[in-house]
Amino acid sequence: MSDVLELRGVGKTFAGIPALRDIHLAVGASELVALIGPSGSGKSTLLRCCNRLTEPDAGDVVFEGEPVPAGGAELASVRRRMGMVFQAFNLYPHLNALENAALAPRRAAGLSQGEAETAAREALERVGLGDRTSAMPDELSGGQQQRVAIARALALRPRILLLDEPTSALDPELVGSVLRVIRSLREDGVAMLIATHEIAFAREAADRIAFLADGEILECGPPAEVLDRPRTERLQSFLSRL
Amino acid sequence: MRIFFDPEVLAAAWPGIRSGIGVTLGLALTSIAAGVALGLLLATVRALIQGAPLRPVGGLIAAYADVFRAMPPLVLLVVLYFAAPFAGIELSGFMAAFVALGLVLGASAEEIFWAGITSVNRGQWEAALSTGLSRGEAFRRVVLPQAVRLTIPPLTNRAIATGKNTALASVVAVPEVLNQAASVQAQTASPAPLLLAAGVYVALFLPLVRLGRWLETRFHIR
Repeated sequence: MSDVLELRGVGKTFAGIPALRDIHLAVGASELVALIGPSGSGKSTLLRCCNRLTEPDAGDVVFEGEPVPAGGAELASVRRRMGMVFQAFNLYPHLNALENAALAPRRAAGLSQGEAETAAREALERVGLGDRTSAMPDELSGGQQQRVAIARALALRPRILLLDEPTSALDPELVGSVLRVIRSLREDGVAMLIATHEIAFAREAADRIAFLADGEILECGPPAEVLDRPRTERLQSFLSRL
Repeated sequence: MRIFFDPEVLAAAWPGIRSGIGVTLGLALTSIAAGVALGLLLATVRALIQGAPLRPVGGLIAAYADVFRAMPPLVLLVVLYFAAPFAGIELSGFMAAFVALGLVLGASAEEIFWAGITSVNRGQWEAALSTGLSRGEAFRRVVLPQAVRLTIPPLTNRAIATGKNTALASVVAVPEVLNQAASVQAQTASPAPLLLAAGVYVALFLPLVRLGRWLETRFHIR
């Protein structure tokens, strides 16, 4: 199986403090890999290094067999095919749901306005918000906002979705709606790399789970192996505190 | 009372003041438009430059903004009109006033736009860039529209101040409202033309002040 995304020895240091150390991780086509670990363990930094929102200072990120370009239109083109979903949604507050999802298809992928709106509408329907296309972000619940953010990424037909704690900012009763969408994307074969604190979700939905602590992947494998037979003390104590 | 509202003096002063209204409005509108455009242009350049070779440009823009916010517009005006000819730069009174008011408003407008741009959440840039938008498109479609909402109230205030400062042009013989009134006042030794001029200024700028108030509520961030 060919990997969509592969990190080879990726490292990042912030002000002398290592945030990521020698990360090796691959995500195959239609594979869902969950990143778990304590706050500050480097999950967000790892995701942000994939599309170079954070610039890694060691190692390579390889997307569809090619190193992710350092900048310019080549990097923009890779970012378009690597959707990102943020913990805080980051919807554009001055645009409605449809405009949020249609902006990049129109202005980054160069579709016509009509084609861009069609792609946006289909993406919103896919996350169950086909009836809220004209709603402004502040008229939507947190769960709906995050689903619009997922639709914004999906409208570009990405090869992989990077999800940075997509449910951590949500009220508990809204988490389910977002996880349902992620599960249905998984059934459709969308490759995903997701940082999450939802261990039950990771167990049931992930093909593999990687456990991060202090910027290192300490364990990586199928959920049953990682969650039920933890080999390291760090993971044992992390799981026991949940 | 009659000395302040002498009908004969007012009748003599009115044609000049009426023609001055056109000059005042012309100077106000052109210098406001130029100042806002200059401020937006500089703030945009400052927001989009990146990389070491261009970094000093941002510093230069900030320095311009600081110097011209510290400069009294009247001082800049008399320098441009009375001192610049010695450097071979001859400006008409109108041009000198236009340049002085435009430069001073441009400095304030740059800072106002810059403050608006930097107060837009970093996550907005990141979301836009993560979808493959260029920095230019991210700025234009995502960051600037949000920044402009924040800048409208302070910018309106600065624009009104610039409009009122057109009265400074009277010292370089621009035949605007105050200059016209002052020349009739000098001829007649009557204060009536000055009071008429004061009324004209209020009539001209009160609607702008009201517009500013309306814009403030209209663009209030929810």
